Amino acid sequence: MPYSRLQFVFQGDLGPFNPGLPVEVPVWLAINLKQRQKCRLIPPEWMDVEKLEEIRDRERKEDTFTPMPSPYYMELTKLLLNYASDNIPKADEIRTLVKDTWDTRIAKLRLSADSFVRQQEAHAKLDNLTLMEINTTGTFLTQALDHMYKLRTNLQPGESAHSQDF
Amino acid sequence: MSEAYFPVDPGLGPEENFLSLDDILMSQEKLPGRAESALPRLAFALGQGAGTGDSIPEGSKLEIPLWLAKGLHDSKRRIISVELPKIYKEAWRTVFSADANVVDLHKMGPYYYGFGSQLLNFDNPENPEIAQTILQTFISRFRRIMDSSQNAYNEDTSALVARLDELERALFRAGQKGLNDFQCWEKGQASQITASSLVQNYGKRKFTDMDG
Amino acid sequence: MAGERAVELVRELHRAAGGSLPPFRAEGLRQALEEMRALYERNQADVSEAKSGRTDLIFLIRFRHCCLLRNQRCVLAYLYDRLLRIRALRWEYGSVLPSTIQFHMAAEEVEWFNRYKKSLATYMRSVGGEEGLDLTQDIKPPKSLYIEVRCLRDYGEFEIDDGTTILLKKNSQHFLPRWKCEQLIRQGVLEHILS
Repeated sequence: MPYSRLQFVFQGDLGPFNPGLPVEVPVWLAINLKQRQKCRLIPPEWMDVEKLEEIRDRERKEDTFTPMPSPYYMELTKLLLNYASDNIPKADEIRTLVKDTWDTRIAKLRLSADSFVRQQEAHAKLDNLTLMEINTTGTFLTQALDHMYKLRTNLQPGESAHSQDF
Repeated sequence: MSEAYFPVDPGLGPEENFLSLDDILMSQEKLPGRAESALPRLAFALGQGAGTGDSIPEGSKLEIPLWLAKGLHDSKRRIISVELPKIYKEAWRTVFSADANVVDLHKMGPYYYGFGSQLLNFDNPENPEIAQTILQTFISRFRRIMDSSQNAYNEDTSALVARLDELERALFRAGQKGLNDFQCWEKGQASQITASSLVQNYGKRKFTDMDG
Repeated sequence: MAGERAVELVRELHRAAGGSLPPFRAEGLRQALEEMRALYERNQADVSEAKSGRTDLIFLIRFRHCCLLRNQRCVLAYLYDRLLRIRALRWEYGSVLPSTIQFHMAAEEVEWFNRYKKSLATYMRSVGGEEGLDLTQDIKPPKSLYIEVRCLRDYGEFEIDDGTTILLKKNSQHFLPRWKCEQLIRQGVLEHILS
């Protein structure tokens, strides 16, 4: 297989690429090679129906966020299922399981956001949340908390008594 | 929505934001007041008489915009006293504490939080209760705004925002953006370059004019 | 009531949603400034009377002064928010604005846009090495160097990297370097087609 030029570009950091032998490469390269049908992708260990069922069930049972097998579990699932579903056994089931886990976590996130606001807490520990999860609700949440902070300063009169005149 | 235009946010709380269009329109809202002494030559200016020379007699009821009430407010020498709009009075505060979600804050506001915060400038004895009610109202309505803004995908949201005040509507839009961006990513459209909304607003007809 | 004309400017601008730029209201602005001048002059006259004993005028003076400041705030906010919208045009549309948009701008706003454009260009030349860096490019991370586009209206000839020209005709489809067509897509000339 003519990979010598690739190796040159990457200055020998990757490879050697030998036919039939597994080798670890960055996701972007794996997908690029896969798209050109130069390789078969080996899914990460956790991308497996049994393991994901376990993860989903634990997520449903616990009140707090359980650790995910990868901080990029959503991104990886999407990329691998899009470009290499033929290399992943039971791809459809995996898609559903990851989606179920995501939905559970988002529902949990909302629940905890609401109780955070209700109890007027000042800080919260959001261990095990992934960037993707934070990102979908982050703007909304920080804006809401900002409003709440200002409405709370209303409760302390006199602190900024000098009102502008216009 | 444009990706490069960020308007000046309203101040909310004790201070207005000088350059915020929202705050200017908020402070244009009127509130009931009373002339504590005769106001010479002000009848016309305040929309209460025909001639420019007419005076407003002591004790007259007035309706003045917030910006003017703030400007004329003088805690040492009260010339105009302001009263609470009914939505901030005790009867309504009771309604809010029973179930804040039932109130149509757009009809009653539409700047319920911003205007309410500004009312605190007038040294009303009920200030602590007003401040408390505004905060609690926001807290009780938060869940519904969050859920509706994060669930409504690809549907007409006009019914969902109809009863929200302006601050809540902006929050709703932030929630919608989070949801839409995520859905966009899921469908693989996140890398698609799209036409700027600033351009789309000018419509097709005008482009043909330009070409001709 | 004083301040009505000025707040009307603000109201109209606020209604123009999504950052679009409504026509510049030169007449409305002139009237608001005229009102401010009148308020100021009447106050000047009354202040000298108040100084000579007419203390009953003080409240009236104060009232006019409030109106003056209110007008000032509305006018400043109007002009400022328009500049924010005009600045956004540079990022979303490009450095040459179509006449339809320029038609909505005051001469001073066009001047401001040109200066902003220059200042941004100077900055972009100074970063990213010898050739500078176009910060308005690749607002969304690119997935590939070439993309498929469809032409939404007749645009005419268009030169691509290698010096050849192609004809951008309505409904025609092309496979072009992404960086070359990003701006045309933002302008609504081309549509980015995902495979």
